[in-house]
Amino acid sequence: MASSTTAMQPGSSTDVSCPECGAPAPFRGTTVSLVCEYCGSTIVRTGVNLELLGKVSALLDNGSPILLGAAASFDKVPFEVVGRLQLRHGRGTWNEWFIAFADGGVGWLSDAQGSYAITRPREKSIVAGKVPPYSACVLGQPLTVQGVAYVPVERRAATYQGAEGSLPFAATTGDTFYSVDLRGHDGEFMTLDYGERGDHQQPTLYMGRAVDLIAIGLQPLRKFAGWERRA
Amino acid sequence: MTTAAPAKLFREEAQAETIKCLSCGGPIALHSFGARQRVVCPHCGSTLAPADSGALTLLAAASRKHQPSVLPLHARGTLAGLEWEIIGICWRRCVVDGIAYPWQEFLLFNPWHGVRWLIYSNSDGHWQLGRSLDGAPEILKRRHHTVRLAKQTFEHFQGAIAVVSYVEGEFTWEVHVGDQAEINDFIAPPHGLSIEQSSGPDGVELNFTAAEHLEPAAVWRAFKQPGKPPPTRGVGALRPNPWHRTRRSLWLSCLVFLAAWWLLSARLEAGRQPVMAFHQDHISFDEPLSQEIKIGEPGVPTAIEFSLSAAPLDNAWAYADVLLVNLATQDAVGFGLEASYYHGVDGGESWSEGSTRATATIGGVDGGQYLLQITPQRGGTGSTPIDYKVELIQDVYLQRYVVLSFLVILTFPLLAWLCGWLFERRRWKNSDYSGD
Repeated sequence: MASSTTAMQPGSSTDVSCPECGAPAPFRGTTVSLVCEYCGSTIVRTGVNLELLGKVSALLDNGSPILLGAAASFDKVPFEVVGRLQLRHGRGTWNEWFIAFADGGVGWLSDAQGSYAITRPREKSIVAGKVPPYSACVLGQPLTVQGVAYVPVERRAATYQGAEGSLPFAATTGDTFYSVDLRGHDGEFMTLDYGERGDHQQPTLYMGRAVDLIAIGLQPLRKFAGWERRA
Repeated sequence: MTTAAPAKLFREEAQAETIKCLSCGGPIALHSFGARQRVVCPHCGSTLAPADSGALTLLAAASRKHQPSVLPLHARGTLAGLEWEIIGICWRRCVVDGIAYPWQEFLLFNPWHGVRWLIYSNSDGHWQLGRSLDGAPEILKRRHHTVRLAKQTFEHFQGAIAVVSYVEGEFTWEVHVGDQAEINDFIAPPHGLSIEQSSGPDGVELNFTAAEHLEPAAVWRAFKQPGKPPPTRGVGALRPNPWHRTRRSLWLSCLVFLAAWWLLSARLEAGRQPVMAFHQDHISFDEPLSQEIKIGEPGVPTAIEFSLSAAPLDNAWAYADVLLVNLATQDAVGFGLEASYYHGVDGGESWSEGSTRATATIGGVDGGQYLLQITPQRGGTGSTPIDYKVELIQDVYLQRYVVLSFLVILTFPLLAWLCGWLFERRRWKNSDYSGD
């Protein structure tokens, strides 16, 4: 069967079907929302109930070489790409790929115009009181977190464009995400998620670093007509 | 269970496509596989943008003429082992002191490796390859206008407002003719770092670009262009200093030479046994001295040291015209020697100058019989000397040749340092700091 996401977390996948088309819906332990691979419907799990949101995902082909189901390692922990959240902001779309690690944890592989970073959720308390609210974040003005200087490089309100695979929350059209991306001097990467109205005083924290898809060995990658991968 | 085959979103090989310009109808080849925010028709300059559905819509019609760039759209080349295709061309320029400095930016695309910028400077013909930084550079407070990235320090070279003057092709950002950005370039040749600030829809946007110098011939080879690349003028901002490349080996070989020189000169000095060839005390000033003497061994050149001492010498001088005539060849060596000693009290400070002894060293004197002729003179306000004495020492150690060889050894690295310095001065002439 095409459900490739169960291998990472044996037993966490529940045996449910898409309420729209009846195809298997491979919900995992961390999955809250799933886009049916067969009919494109978005299914949200609330407790033991499945709710059908309909075909609300309008994923655009923005040329990403990443494929759902691709696998690689980050800090020696294997992971698999299990979902994609596609977001739109003033300058177009970018992808946040939801990844499941072999150690049971999750993370995000950010994919914007050929620039990639992997982050994992961290305790909010690390940045509590150390970072300004969304509206007061100034690009270029470094913030120090755990002894490392982080420079805010992007501050944006992005809206939901589409999704595929599993996501840890229910995202639907019209949802807006307020976030700030910060970069350290040595490739460190941090995302501060200020919530759906941008008014969270304590942003949700994701930390990690910039990565090169080829260097981390992500496979398989998409094929492109007229282009040959070189070793 | 009956289900349709999975939609397999994007699992199929992505295809390039060609569309018709929504303004002029001309063909536009799209090679970026969707990674685009703007498409500018190469023929008419009209701007297309993807709508929310992903379909391209006409954003702004234009009717400009196509202009040739130094490299053509869709040319492919291999740089640093990766293949790249030019999917967009953007001309920009800045104006400094009333002079426009144009350059051409080629957006390079590889579906797995993202984008790079190949930058050609029209004003000096030099090339750079740029890429987005994975990290943010550190602005150093301790030194003005210096940034640091990955343990490398970059010095500020110039800052200017860049304006987009011509575009064609596909872009991963919302490019538009007339767009302005403040660019600050920092250099550590062959590497560079640019900080670009522009105002975007979400406020100020900061872009960091790392650049490296490319040789024009390497670009031409990579993109298989016919003929030769446009010639360069002057020193590029990131061109490596050729004198710095050899700097380390030059100083190293200089050190080796100096060590050898020190050992050799010590041995030479130890091996020399200066011999008194002639000396005479209490010679009268009243008449010239004329005497036959023997210097060294016949046919073997030697170095001699001739000294004149007079006593007492007190606020007075003694002078001798010395002539050495080789009796075998009649070749003559002549020189003058003056010993003078003055002292006094001036404004409560006592002073003195000169010496009661004067010495001349002459190298390359053939050994053999010589006629020594000395014509002495004396004078002064104090006590003039009664008599004088002379000494002629042969096989003396000639320090000046040793010093000379020391200087010759040092010449090479010093010359390289000077050339390197001049090279940097020419480079910085094109910077914001040419006036200092």
